[in-house]
Amino acid sequence: MPKAIEFTPIEPIPLDLLREPLIWFFAEHYRHRDVCTRLTELARSVIFDEAALREIYRFLDRDLPLHVIDEEDDLFPLLRRRCEPDDQIELVLGMLSAEHAADMSEGAAVKSLVGAALAEQRGLACYAEAGAAIDAFCQKQKRHIAVENAVVLPIARHRLGEDDLISLGQRLAARRGLANPFQAAS
Amino acid sequence: MIRTLLDNNMNWASARVRADPDFFRRLAAQQAPEYLWIGCSDSRVPANEIVGLDPGELFVHRNIANLAPPRDMNFLAVLQFSIEVLKVRHIIVCGHYGCGGVRAALDTERRGLIDHWLQPVTDLAHRHQGHLDAIADFDTRVNVACEHNVRAQVEYLGHNPFVTDAWRRGQRLEIHGWIYSIRDGLLRDLGLTIERSKDADRLAARAWFPDG
Repeated sequence: MPKAIEFTPIEPIPLDLLREPLIWFFAEHYRHRDVCTRLTELARSVIFDEAALREIYRFLDRDLPLHVIDEEDDLFPLLRRRCEPDDQIELVLGMLSAEHAADMSEGAAVKSLVGAALAEQRGLACYAEAGAAIDAFCQKQKRHIAVENAVVLPIARHRLGEDDLISLGQRLAARRGLANPFQAAS
Repeated sequence: MIRTLLDNNMNWASARVRADPDFFRRLAAQQAPEYLWIGCSDSRVPANEIVGLDPGELFVHRNIANLAPPRDMNFLAVLQFSIEVLKVRHIIVCGHYGCGGVRAALDTERRGLIDHWLQPVTDLAHRHQGHLDAIADFDTRVNVACEHNVRAQVEYLGHNPFVTDAWRRGQRLEIHGWIYSIRDGLLRDLGLTIERSKDADRLAARAWFPDG
């Protein structure tokens, strides 16, 4: 009988990184890639791994939408205000924003599959549509993250000032109901 | 049910008095807000609440798409009263991402009277159409236009005679441009603050997009 993959929780982001918001984004992207890897494996398994599915569900339900807000309502508008013409930032941000909109709908479809698996206590491979839907979602996520890491975050490092980074870190924290990460130092 | 609102009000007033027995006595005696808030009518952007201010601390003018229209008597009366009588120290123009008014100004659907109200936003979008069209995602285009709309109101206020007269008199008055996200309840300072006529001119000369 096939065995469930040994469960290890998705690594949380160290809260210290709120003081270095661009590193926070890198760390969050690392988690997204990790989730995609786990999700791809789960999509191939008929074993019901409740703990792993619950973590993925939570990620899709809470973390992914928050991350989209982090970028769409915070990092990207800041970049639009700070970038220089040579950065040609709109070309890449426009594409990424459109992908974010797709993330939310495709993520919702994957979330409902994971939700169904949890409710019916079945492995994701029991659902005919799961493999293709999850593969497509994860591949897009990985490509999207690669562009953000390679293009957006290096430009952000170059263009955002200290005040920008402090306010960005404060909002990342506030959005998650956490205390101001700069309070102790200020 | 409408009755619930009256019940809620009773509970609110009673809780206020329990926390601070002199609260309403103080409030009734004087209105001395330091801030004029020009915000959107959207029910999800409750001015006092999002900045943590009590009644009496914020003078509020709200309309669809947080406009400061130069020919709107309602708005002009609020502006003059707040500057000359209340002597507010700060005017905050606060837009919000996803604003339905800005969205309506950007699409081609006809809605009647509201189209006339939103004409300044439509005009602004036309002025920057080339740049806005380069933003592939419509929601993002709306959000960028929301920020630009805030800036346009700050610029207008910086050249409004009530404001420039106040500055000429030496009255301290700062105008700020903020934007709010309904998705996280957080405000962003758009870095548009002006406190003298020169600042207003400088802001008017600033590029709207990275390439002009």
